[in-house]
Amino acid sequence: MGLREPAWRVTTRELELSTVEERGQGTRVASYLLSPFGARMNRVALSGTLGAPQAIGRDEPSSFWRASLVDPLGAVAVTAGSFQPRAMVELRAAPADRPAIVVGKVHRFVGRDGFASVSVRAEAVRSVAEADERATLAETLRQTLDRLDLIERIEHEPSVADAALRLGGYPDGWIAAAREALRRYPDADRRGYRAGLRPAVAHVAGVRLAPPAPPDGAVRVTVDRPKPPPPEPTAHEREAEAEFLGLVDAAAEGSEDGYADVREVLRRLADRGVGPEQAEAVLGRLEEGGVLEEPIVGKLRRA
Amino acid sequence: MAADRPEELAEVPLREVGRRSPVVHVVGRIVSARRREIVRPTDGSRRPLLSGLLSDGTATVRFTWWDPPREEIERGTILRAVGAEVREYRGRPELVFTWKTRIGPAGPAELPRLDPESLPPRTVRELADGDEGFRLEARVLTVQAKSVSVGEERRVVHEGLLADDGGVVAFSSWNDFGLAAGEAVRIAGGYVRSFRGRRQLILDDRSHVARRDGAGLPEPARWLRRPPRPIAEVEAEGGGEATAVEGLVVGLLPPSGLVYRCPECRRAVVGGLCRVHGAVSGVADLRARLVLDDGSGAATVSAGRAATEQLWGLTLADARARLREVADPSVLEEQLAESVVGRRLRVRGSASCDDFGLTITPETIEPAEVDLEGAAEELAARLDGGR
Repeated sequence: MGLREPAWRVTTRELELSTVEERGQGTRVASYLLSPFGARMNRVALSGTLGAPQAIGRDEPSSFWRASLVDPLGAVAVTAGSFQPRAMVELRAAPADRPAIVVGKVHRFVGRDGFASVSVRAEAVRSVAEADERATLAETLRQTLDRLDLIERIEHEPSVADAALRLGGYPDGWIAAAREALRRYPDADRRGYRAGLRPAVAHVAGVRLAPPAPPDGAVRVTVDRPKPPPPEPTAHEREAEAEFLGLVDAAAEGSEDGYADVREVLRRLADRGVGPEQAEAVLGRLEEGGVLEEPIVGKLRRA
Repeated sequence: MAADRPEELAEVPLREVGRRSPVVHVVGRIVSARRREIVRPTDGSRRPLLSGLLSDGTATVRFTWWDPPREEIERGTILRAVGAEVREYRGRPELVFTWKTRIGPAGPAELPRLDPESLPPRTVRELADGDEGFRLEARVLTVQAKSVSVGEERRVVHEGLLADDGGVVAFSSWNDFGLAAGEAVRIAGGYVRSFRGRRQLILDDRSHVARRDGAGLPEPARWLRRPPRPIAEVEAEGGGEATAVEGLVVGLLPPSGLVYRCPECRRAVVGGLCRVHGAVSGVADLRARLVLDDGSGAATVSAGRAATEQLWGLTLADARARLREVADPSVLEEQLAESVVGRRLRVRGSASCDDFGLTITPETIEPAEVDLEGAAEELAARLDGGR
């Protein structure tokens, strides 16, 4: 394996259904999100229609942007911050609802209510012609079917040697990921997922992209419920989020470990007349959106 | 001891050196030589020596010649050494010429007769760094003459690709054998050098090249028009010549865009300094280091000026004109990134693998065409097939 992580071609639906994480250990190791369909993702490439960008956070230098990428099977949040300047400019610049290709790192975040959401931190965002968007989707679907075929083969013949699979043209990384997917998602509905790819194939053939349809029930979700794309926050909510983030930053700055203490933030909000329920709701939204995370119970930091 | 009666020593080809006797009789041509002086630590006296490489077409062996004659000994000189001592250094035999060794001039006719038929046959796939004294039957895929400077002089080197059924290897010929693309040849007396993981067959005036019929050898197109392969597969094989891959450009690595090169050696100039030639006035050039990803793996495609101009739609002159407006090369790099990232390309060229992963030096870069209707039909069939 090379040093650079390959960009797995996946649909938004596959990202939604991925729940198993492998956290790297040590100083500088990658973490991975394993999908039920044989992708072991650190980096992904997706195509679809990119929605309007929204700013998250208040102050310009630490600005953080988010947009929703919609493909025929669902949607995923795409984010870019000041550490991804090239991607951030692209995410902000162009008009809404344009065909685009996004390459980035996957992040899976589990909120305190148990809901999980996957987002993609963009490294590259590219507006493309519709034909290019469809071509990328075609590649995604072909590789998805290849991976599903590979899993099926291993399922039928668990003792098959890697060397034999390699002869079939499968890269080593795919073989390892397929075996792991079978082990970690023994009950995943792979047939259902395959059948559910039909609208995506129709889009490759030229059927225009419709807004994401709710799951049609063909796919059984066994671990987490898929999250619908987040609703547009109102101006009022945005203001509350910005206030919350400001307090988090202030608390983090004043603390020794660089984390913001949740209780302190809530207390300061209470001083400003924001009730605990309201504050929890804002915190929930920020965590779901991948803006804040709580790596230690009671300690917050910007994701 | 045999060395006391050197005239009785039978001559051996260099390939046989080190196998039998500790003292040998050889005839060879000096391929390279360097004169030095060793200072003896005990009394500070100086002792001259000449060291370099000696070759007779069957093998190349390092030699050390203590107290060589004062006159210049030129590269290409053929000599006969009777009573040379054999030492071993890092598992390879070396020759040492001492006061006991009798050395005299010899003519080309005295070199061991290189009968190609007597050399063991090799296939392209088997060739490894340091190999010598073999014969190879292959098809010339490409060949191109190139003028290079070697030390003070300009020399013409003929570079290209050779292939048989099992593989492709780059070659570099310092002798003009009149090779033409498509010819089938039998080669003897070449040797293999590896640089940054890329094997090269080197031919020079000691090598033999004969034409043969093309039976059993692949047509050039079989290798030159190979369909794209997964990047992970190319990487697992450690690279290869005439390799095609296809993928999305997902990034642009520095240095890309407008760069400056040393006028002497074309190395990149950093801060007005060349690594070898010191302070130089750099010559402007364009390059693009593209990260190409096909979902199985990623490769760095190192595009030169022509390919970068074609991808960017901007010539070197245009780029320099723009630099006069924006006065910041990193802006140009961003603009280049904007025009290449997200494009689907098919790249063909020489791939090699090192600590930084797979690098492809492209011969051609072209937009990859996707037949959407065909793809949709194929995908629909696979869905219906249920496997």
